[in-house]
Amino acid sequence: MADRKSQVEEILAVSDLRKYFEKKAFLRRLEVIRAVDGVSFSIGTGQTLVLAGESGSGKTTIARLILGALEPDWGKITFSGEMTGLDRESIARIRRECQMIHQDPYASLDPRMRVIDIVREPLDIHGIGRPAERREMALGALRDVKLDADDVALKYPHMLSGGQRQRVAIARAIAPKPKVIIADEPVSMLDVSVRVGILELMKELQERDGISFLYITHDLSTARYVGDEIVILYMGKIVEYGKIDDVLLHPAHPYTRALVEAISEPDPDNLTTEKKIHVNPTLDINPYQGCRFRARCPYAVERCSDEPPLEDIGGGRFVACFVKPD
Amino acid sequence: MSDVYRTRELYRFNATDQFYKRQMYLSSGSMLLVTLSVRDLRVHYKSKDAVVRAVDGVSFDLGNGKSVGIVGESGCGKSTLGLALIRAIQGGSVESGEAFLDGKPLLGISDDEFSKTMRWKKISMVFQGAMNSLDPVFSVKAQFYEVLKEHKYAGDAQKAIKDALAAVSLPLSVLDNFPHELSGGMKQRVVIAMALLLGPELVIADEPTTALDVLVQAQIMSLLKELKKGGMSVMLISHDLGIVSEISDMVAIMYAGKIVEFGTLRDVYSNPRHPYTQALLKATPRIRGEKELASLKGTPPSLSSVGPGCRFYDRCPKAMEKCRNDPPVVRTESGYVACWLEE
Repeated sequence: MADRKSQVEEILAVSDLRKYFEKKAFLRRLEVIRAVDGVSFSIGTGQTLVLAGESGSGKTTIARLILGALEPDWGKITFSGEMTGLDRESIARIRRECQMIHQDPYASLDPRMRVIDIVREPLDIHGIGRPAERREMALGALRDVKLDADDVALKYPHMLSGGQRQRVAIARAIAPKPKVIIADEPVSMLDVSVRVGILELMKELQERDGISFLYITHDLSTARYVGDEIVILYMGKIVEYGKIDDVLLHPAHPYTRALVEAISEPDPDNLTTEKKIHVNPTLDINPYQGCRFRARCPYAVERCSDEPPLEDIGGGRFVACFVKPD
Repeated sequence: MSDVYRTRELYRFNATDQFYKRQMYLSSGSMLLVTLSVRDLRVHYKSKDAVVRAVDGVSFDLGNGKSVGIVGESGCGKSTLGLALIRAIQGGSVESGEAFLDGKPLLGISDDEFSKTMRWKKISMVFQGAMNSLDPVFSVKAQFYEVLKEHKYAGDAQKAIKDALAAVSLPLSVLDNFPHELSGGMKQRVVIAMALLLGPELVIADEPTTALDVLVQAQIMSLLKELKKGGMSVMLISHDLGIVSEISDMVAIMYAGKIVEFGTLRDVYSNPRHPYTQALLKATPRIRGEKELASLKGTPPSLSSVGPGCRFYDRCPKAMEKCRNDPPVVRTESGYVACWLEE
């Protein structure tokens, strides 16, 4: 998959990443949950890769694996050409170069810290800049996210609106000058009229500083606005991967297709038309054998009880499906 | 534009004005075609040092068998509007105004009478965060029976439960389940079934799909669509213009406690007249078509300190000097819009 990125330098890559969780079920039987099951992708410098999927698809687990908050069971993570491990040094490096923006700006900022200290904290932790300069760097980050730095610096998070808080979270993320930002549903808690401003800000910072984004979301319409490429996850596996417009406008995998069909756009014709979503109600079969989606897939054939490989169908596009209905 | 009205003149109404109330009652009683009629509703939350005007003079009419979508951002008063109609406001009070369902008043009657004749029998609600509104220590069956008992249901309880479950396509076996044994989509169906138990005419659904996955969300919307086809009216409260378009014949766009635009779905979406409606539509990303989105500066005003004038003034790209005065309510083909540009 690396040749595809020949024109842009690859900044972050994961390959065959796996993380299984054990859950104690009835009568002490252990149930294994394959949260991430053999996932490989890469992000180019200054690019945005969208990780899309429903809850339980493993998208947040992948973010935690990259940041070293969880230990992968298998697979490797490469950051600007170097493999990362779980030693102190490599974790410190990835946590400096790779910052995170969380979903809920009401929960992700410490309510007892002033805005300036929130933004300055990562600089102190990673020892970036001389202590005397850090305050100025933090103020600069606040100006970068279009906040009135002098006004908000001494405020506490509860004195700010949701949009302003998310800007503070972004300022904190960009303050240590990271190469990659992992944004986990950064606008889903915000109002529609505020969302666009945050998305535009992220785009602007990306163009200015060449930051790469791993954008985690379940919202495909917003994803199309920010992303260059998209990975569609289903139960810990990639079902489709490619350029965002190709995947969303001409989905090849039945699951991607169902997701796109399920989107309600603001269209007055919706009132009178029946929405047709090609998906079956779930049946009870072992999900970890063969194609994970086959129980819900209306196109499933016998062969789908084997595992479909993620196949290159050209144009930088990968699909894990035997049938690929048109 | 000759049809220029001031809100106050159009819907002058005072809860203590008995004569006017009777007039209203009679007039809406004779107009059999109106299901829901809300007149100059004001709901305030009072704290020690401020009054939050969550709903501040809301009026609209909904035709027979029609459904309405209430769209707005967080804190615009849309949930409060729903709670007021089912008389479940906590920590606040209805200051003035009236609402009529099929010509019968919802607010002017005593709590007792409302419980006896209206709540759940004529009007019911699917609350926001419905997935968490089931009690974790009781089975689904016990919770269904509790609703029936609370509302002194005299008919065949088993049949009522069976019908309600069938309407949301759930098997009878869920009755023996506890909420934690059900998926999010199933819990949402259970909560909707509960709202349907006594066969209401109007169901208020407050963000019924917000915490659900995309595919499940679509299933719940087609379920509501199906119920609507069966003759039920839905008042859908949501921030999502896409979801609202699936089911709403009429749409009300709320901003800072007021409805700024009201009309048929097609009029509001295809020919939005209020700058706020236009901005919302332009800020909504779409999967097909243009990738350009327009952002809106600023944030909505605090509802505890609104002065006179248009509430959208600070954020409006078309604001003029006269927008510092309260905007006129101008009739449109299918509803109204509150904006000086339309004068």
